[in-house]
Amino acid sequence: MVNKLIVSNILYRPIRTAVSALAVAIEVAMVMLFVGLAHGLLNESAHRVEGVGADILVQPAGSSFLFALSQAPMPLKIGDRLKEIPHVQAVAPVFFNFISTSLTVIYGIDMASFDDVSGGFSYYPGSRPLRDSYDLLVDNLYAKANHVKIGDTLTLLNHQFHVCGMVEHGKGARLFIPLQTAQDLMQEPDKASLFFIKCTDPGYADAVADAIRQLLHGYQVRPVNEYLSLMTSNNLPGLNAFITVVVIIAVGIGFLVIFLSMYTTVTERTREIGILKSLGASKRYIIAVILREAGLLSAVGIIVGYGIAAVTRKVLIAYFPTLFIELTMQWAVYAAILAVAGSMVGAFYPAMRAARLDPVDALAYE
Amino acid sequence: MEPIIATHDLRKVYRVGKVAVEALRGVDCIVHEGEFVAVVGPSGCGKSTLLHVLGGLTGPTSGQVLVDGNDFSKMTDADRTRFRRHKIGFVFQRFNLLPTLTARDNIAIAQHIQGNGFNPHRFQGVAEMLGIQEKLDHRPFALSGGEQQRVAIARAVICDPKLLLADEPTGNLDSENSQAVLNMIRGLNKSFGQTVLMITHNPEAAAVADRIIHMRDGRIISD
Repeated sequence: MVNKLIVSNILYRPIRTAVSALAVAIEVAMVMLFVGLAHGLLNESAHRVEGVGADILVQPAGSSFLFALSQAPMPLKIGDRLKEIPHVQAVAPVFFNFISTSLTVIYGIDMASFDDVSGGFSYYPGSRPLRDSYDLLVDNLYAKANHVKIGDTLTLLNHQFHVCGMVEHGKGARLFIPLQTAQDLMQEPDKASLFFIKCTDPGYADAVADAIRQLLHGYQVRPVNEYLSLMTSNNLPGLNAFITVVVIIAVGIGFLVIFLSMYTTVTERTREIGILKSLGASKRYIIAVILREAGLLSAVGIIVGYGIAAVTRKVLIAYFPTLFIELTMQWAVYAAILAVAGSMVGAFYPAMRAARLDPVDALAYE
Repeated sequence: MEPIIATHDLRKVYRVGKVAVEALRGVDCIVHEGEFVAVVGPSGCGKSTLLHVLGGLTGPTSGQVLVDGNDFSKMTDADRTRFRRHKIGFVFQRFNLLPTLTARDNIAIAQHIQGNGFNPHRFQGVAEMLGIQEKLDHRPFALSGGEQQRVAIARAVICDPKLLLADEPTGNLDSENSQAVLNMIRGLNKSFGQTVLMITHNPEAAAVADRIIHMRDGRIISD
């Protein structure tokens, strides 16, 4: 019977119901999309590094696991010493160039050694490997997002690059230029930002890493698994704070709209609450009616929010293929819990107000 | 036999801002089970306040109010609410049906609030007695005033209350519907021994009662 009352109340004011549910839906979609975007980009970046196929990463002392923040390159000749360590199969030096305007990392690579470590790129038809100084390889997602075709000329780092090929995404960066060009652009000849090291067997990774640490004191030597474990929101400065702020804003929106909606509902239904009280409805009964109504609005909003999140993700990825948005079940549940909690808190004061109404005054309410 | 209503020196003072309004100024009255009592008097004489106090919607300021042996002056708001749920039915001048529910659900919600669940046998009997079987699936806005009041009476008596309190039940009805509603209330009283206390300012309506109490200025002036 209470369910009938709640449903009929909700249907009685369809616009208010729609606006309230939409606010909750936006809350849910906002949480899922922002968190999904943060985690998606982070995980996709980690997967690309994993996709290179190396077992160990070697970086200069004090460098960040975020390659875009990595500075202070190492002497290239270190690579020769690394190759001499037992069980090392291949060593690929990489020099990072960072385009701050588009937050893009360009890998300066030595084609042969990078192929040795990664097993080589998967080229699209019409492509060729890096050969000339200002050759540029782009991955398919960058090409799609920026409408780049093989043979185009791109201006990067104030220089004109010739797009000599397009490769399947997933091997480190989205853009690749010759190692020497990358060094020259930063005026750091014979330097490398990172060495990708491939072992003869992945089982040797820890032993090789220890050997490298013995050889290169103070350098950042990380097995790939360790690197991947660092690529979480906990290790990114400010990311968790950002997510928290987004969640608070989203929950705040839901809370305020539900509060306003239920407050208006209680005011509008003062007389009806008086009627329920005259029939002997307890305070708990009245509170339950209001909270369950808010709960139903939340439930509708959560389902709509899931839909909005899924559709928005599809649209965003269609227009911006380099965006990765992970809509996870875990955050779907979190978003639902937050939405329901926000709604319950928002509806609680109006519910208490309704429960405390004087029945005589409520019945006389015009 | 114990009276179903017994008040002694019942007083009720309302505060309107800083002004104290004495709505009831020492009401003494006794109503026995099965009686049909009409309370009449001019507007502002305190008859509605008396009904609200007897129905437990508001507590007395002082004095004693015994309803079915329960002293309202010593009961909390929650206790009075619980008592009202099981023992008292209200009929109002403005019908006071829930606009979003059908007539059927308006009646059934009283059973739900009482907590004994839906009793189809009782429901059918009440609907037949009040002649509203054909209107049960209509919402209040689709019913005439007389039909709404019949639904309201059905809601009031569906839980078989000890006491039916009617606040100007014919105040919003034309004479034909007024008579029909009065006949129904009278019928409930005669056929089922339903105790009724009805407030009205209409002498014709009061005339159907067994007993008429006159009020003025918060006091009973004749009984």
